[in-house]
Amino acid sequence: MTDVPTPALECRDVTVTYGSVTALSGVGVRFEPGRIHAVVGQNGAGKTTFARVVAGLVRPQSGEVLVGGKPIHVGHVKEARAAGVELVHQSFALPPSFTVSEAMEFGADTNRPIFTRGQLARRWEAHLASLDVVVNPRRRIRDLPVETQQGVEIARALVTDARVLILDEPTAVLSPTGAEKLFERVRMLKARGVTVILILHKIREVLAVADTVTVLRGGKLVAAGVPVPEIDSARLAEMIIGTGTVQALDPTDAKVLAGADYAPAAPAHVAQQGPPVLELGHVSTLGDAEGPALNDVSLRIRPGEIVGIAGVEGNGQRTLVRAIAGLVDVTGGDVVLDGVPVGGASLGERRARGLRIIPFERNSEGLSLSSSLWENWASRQLLRLPLFRFIQPARIRRESDVALKAWDVRYSNAGQKAGSLSGGNAQKVILAREIDGDARLIIAAQPTRGLDIGATAFVWKSLRAARDQGCAILLISSDLDELFDISDRIAVMLSGSIAGEFQPPYDVGRVGAAMTEAHSR
Amino acid sequence: MTRLVSVLRAAVFILIALVLCGIIFEFAGYSAPSMFQSIAEGAFLRPGALLQSLRWALPLFITAVGVAVSFRCGYFNIGAQGQFYVGAISATFVATWLNGAPAIILVPLSFLAGIAGGALWALWPGLLRLRSGTDEVITTLMGNFIAGLLLVYVTTGPLKDPSGSGQQSSSRPLAAGYRISDSLGISPVIIGIALVVGVGMWLLVNRTAFGVLASLAGRNPTMVRWQGAKVWQLGLSSFLISGGLAGLSGVIEVFGPNGRLVGGFLPTHGFTAILIALVANLSVVGIGIVSLFFGGLASAALFLPIMAGLPAAAIDIVNAAIALFITAKSGFVDRLLRFGTRPS
Repeated sequence: MTDVPTPALECRDVTVTYGSVTALSGVGVRFEPGRIHAVVGQNGAGKTTFARVVAGLVRPQSGEVLVGGKPIHVGHVKEARAAGVELVHQSFALPPSFTVSEAMEFGADTNRPIFTRGQLARRWEAHLASLDVVVNPRRRIRDLPVETQQGVEIARALVTDARVLILDEPTAVLSPTGAEKLFERVRMLKARGVTVILILHKIREVLAVADTVTVLRGGKLVAAGVPVPEIDSARLAEMIIGTGTVQALDPTDAKVLAGADYAPAAPAHVAQQGPPVLELGHVSTLGDAEGPALNDVSLRIRPGEIVGIAGVEGNGQRTLVRAIAGLVDVTGGDVVLDGVPVGGASLGERRARGLRIIPFERNSEGLSLSSSLWENWASRQLLRLPLFRFIQPARIRRESDVALKAWDVRYSNAGQKAGSLSGGNAQKVILAREIDGDARLIIAAQPTRGLDIGATAFVWKSLRAARDQGCAILLISSDLDELFDISDRIAVMLSGSIAGEFQPPYDVGRVGAAMTEAHSR
Repeated sequence: MTRLVSVLRAAVFILIALVLCGIIFEFAGYSAPSMFQSIAEGAFLRPGALLQSLRWALPLFITAVGVAVSFRCGYFNIGAQGQFYVGAISATFVATWLNGAPAIILVPLSFLAGIAGGALWALWPGLLRLRSGTDEVITTLMGNFIAGLLLVYVTTGPLKDPSGSGQQSSSRPLAAGYRISDSLGISPVIIGIALVVGVGMWLLVNRTAFGVLASLAGRNPTMVRWQGAKVWQLGLSSFLISGGLAGLSGVIEVFGPNGRLVGGFLPTHGFTAILIALVANLSVVGIGIVSLFFGGLASAALFLPIMAGLPAAAIDIVNAAIALFITAKSGFVDRLLRFGTRPS
C-alpha cells in the first residue's frame, strides 16, 4: 500500500474485561474505507464484543475508537451512529410487531409526529428498492422469512447515511443460497462506498466475500487487516484455531470446524442393522407460539446411526423435538420408540425407554443455572425415584464428581452454581447427564451452538462414541458443516415438513436448495 | 459462603429497617432508644418474656415452614392466612361434632381435620394453577378473604357460642380435657409438634428427592419439564404441604391458647409467616431463628401498651419496615456483601 487513506474506522489498543474475563486485550486495527473487511475467530474469541465496542454499545476499559480519523467517545451509541457507524445484531433487533416501514421510520429517528401507514410505506419503498430488498413495507417483521428480515435490518441500518456497516454473524441464520444473496448485497454496498465489516466464523465465507481479514483468538489480535489474496485457507484455519489445538484435532474436523471446506465424503461408518429406535409415521401437530406445525413428518433412525436435520431455523425443528419428547400434542401419526408406540406416554416414561435430550436452550431447558452442578446432574436419576424417597445428598455429590470429571467438566466443586460455568463446560454437564449406558435415542439440538472449537470437537466425539455404542442419534443443527461432517444421513426440514433426504457424499447445492425451496418460489 | 452471605443479608436488612423505624418513632414524638428498649424488654428481657415469645413463635414457625416449601418449589402460595383459618374452622367443627368423645379420639381427629382443611384451601388454587395456569398469587390472596368471611360466618352462625357476651363472637369453649395447653399457649405437646414439623420438613427439603427437585423446579421450571418431571405431583404436593401446615397452626391456636374458635383471630398470622420465610431465605433452620425474632415482636406488641404505655402500632411499623426492605430488590446489599468478587 503506497498511499494510506484515512481509515474509515480505527481501533487503538482496545481492552474490554467482564469481571475477571478479558474479552478483548489490546486490539488495534484499521479498516480502510470502501472495502469489505472480515473479522473472524471462534466462539468466545471476542468478535461480538469487538462489534459492540465499535458501535458504542460496550465501553472498553481502555483504548480509542476513531471514525474517519476522528476519535469518538467510546460507549456512546448515539455518537457512534452520528458518526455513521451502524451495527446489525446477530439476533435481529427490529420489533417483531412493527411493519417494515414502521421499523424504518423508527430507525430513522425523524421525529415526524403524525403519519399514515400509506405515507410511511411510500416513503420507504424507494429506499428498500434501492437496496434490492423485495418486501411489502406494510408487512409485519415477524411474518417475514429470515433472509428478508435480515435485508430489512440492513436497510434499517442504512436509513441514516451510514459510512460503516457492521454485520454480526449475518450468515449464521441463512441457508447457503441466502448467504450468497447476502454477499451480493454486501458487494453492492461496497460499490456505493460503504465500508462493511462482517463478523464471520467460516473461512469459506471470508474467502468468498472479504477484501481483508482480521483474526481474533481468545480476545487477542492474531492478524489485522491482512489482504485476502495474500492468505490461504490452511494458514487462516491455523490462525483461528491456534497451532497447538490444530494438531490435537482430527484433520477433517479441523477443516470443518474453521469452515474452510465442507466435509469431503461420507464418514467411514456403516449403520448397524436392526429395527429402528425411532420411527415417526406421518406425524402432524398444531402450530403454537414456540414453532410452526409439523405436517406429515416421517423419519426412521436405526441403532448406530446419526441422522442430521438441516434447515433454516424456525422451520419446525423445535416442534419436531417437542413431538418426540411428548411436549406437544400430536394430532396425527405415530411416534414409536424401540418398537413401542409412545403416543400417550409422558416425557418421563419416554425417558425411561431410553430417550435423552440435549435441548436447544442450554441455559433454560438444559440446566438450572442458579442450582448447583450436582443437582443439575442428578435431576434425571432423582426423577426416577418415588417423590418422597430419602436420598443421601453427600453420596450423590460424590457420584456427580466422578461423572463430571469423566466428562472433563472443569469446575471447582459440585456445589457451585451451573451458571458459573462457560458454555462448553455447561454443555458437558448436560452430556454427562444425558449420555449414559441406558440411552437408546439421543436428540442433540444445536449441541455446539456458541461453543469454541475445542468444546465443539468434544461434543462431536461424544456423539460419535454414543453412536458407535449403538445409540440412535438425531442431530439438529443450522450449521451445514457440522451436519455434513458427522451425519450418516440428512433430512431437510422446511415449513414443518421433510423437504428431502440426502445420503453422503452430500451436495451442498442440493441440500441448500431443499432448505429454501418455498422462499425462492 | 453463600449461606453466610444470606444470613448477613437478612441481618443487614433488619438493621436498616430498624434504623428507619427509629427515625419514624422520633418523628412521631417518641424517643427511639427507649422505644427499642421497651420492645426488647417486651420481647425477651423481662421475666417470662421468652416463654411468651415462644408461644407466638411456634405457630408462626410451623406456618412459615409450609410457606417456604411452596416458595421453594416456585409457587407463591400467599394464602397461609386463609389456610390457617380454614384449618382452625375444620378442627372446631370436628371437635363440636365429636364433643363428649374421649380426648384420645377427638383431639387427633380434630388435628387431622384441621390439616386437611388447610390443605384443601391450598388445593383449589393449586389445581387451578396446574390445570390452567391461573396465577396462584391472585387465587390464594382471594382465598384469604373468603376464609376470613367464612370464619365470621361460622363464629356468628353454626358454631356460635350462645352464652358468649364478649365483643367478639366465638365458638363454645373446648372442654379442658381436650386442650393441649393453657392460655399461656406453651406446652410440651405444642413444642413437640413444632419439633416434629421442623425435623420432618428439614428432612423433606434436604434429604429427599422431592427437596432437590422442588428446588430445581423453583429455580427453573422449564428445565425440570424437559427432564420429564411429573410437574403435577411436585406442584400439588407443595401446595398441600404448605396448606396443611398452616391449617395445623390454626388447630394449635384453637386447642392451645384460645381454647375455642374466636372470630377474626390473629388476622396477620399468615403474612408474618410469609415475611419470616422470606427473611430466612426459605431455610428451615433460618425460619426457626427468625420466628423467634418475630415471636418476640408479637409478644412485645402486647407488652408495649399495657406495661410501658407505648402504642402497639410501633410493632406494625417494625414489621412493615422489614417487609419493605426484604421484598425490595436486594441488588445493593448483595453487592455490598460480595466484597467486589466477580458477578457470576
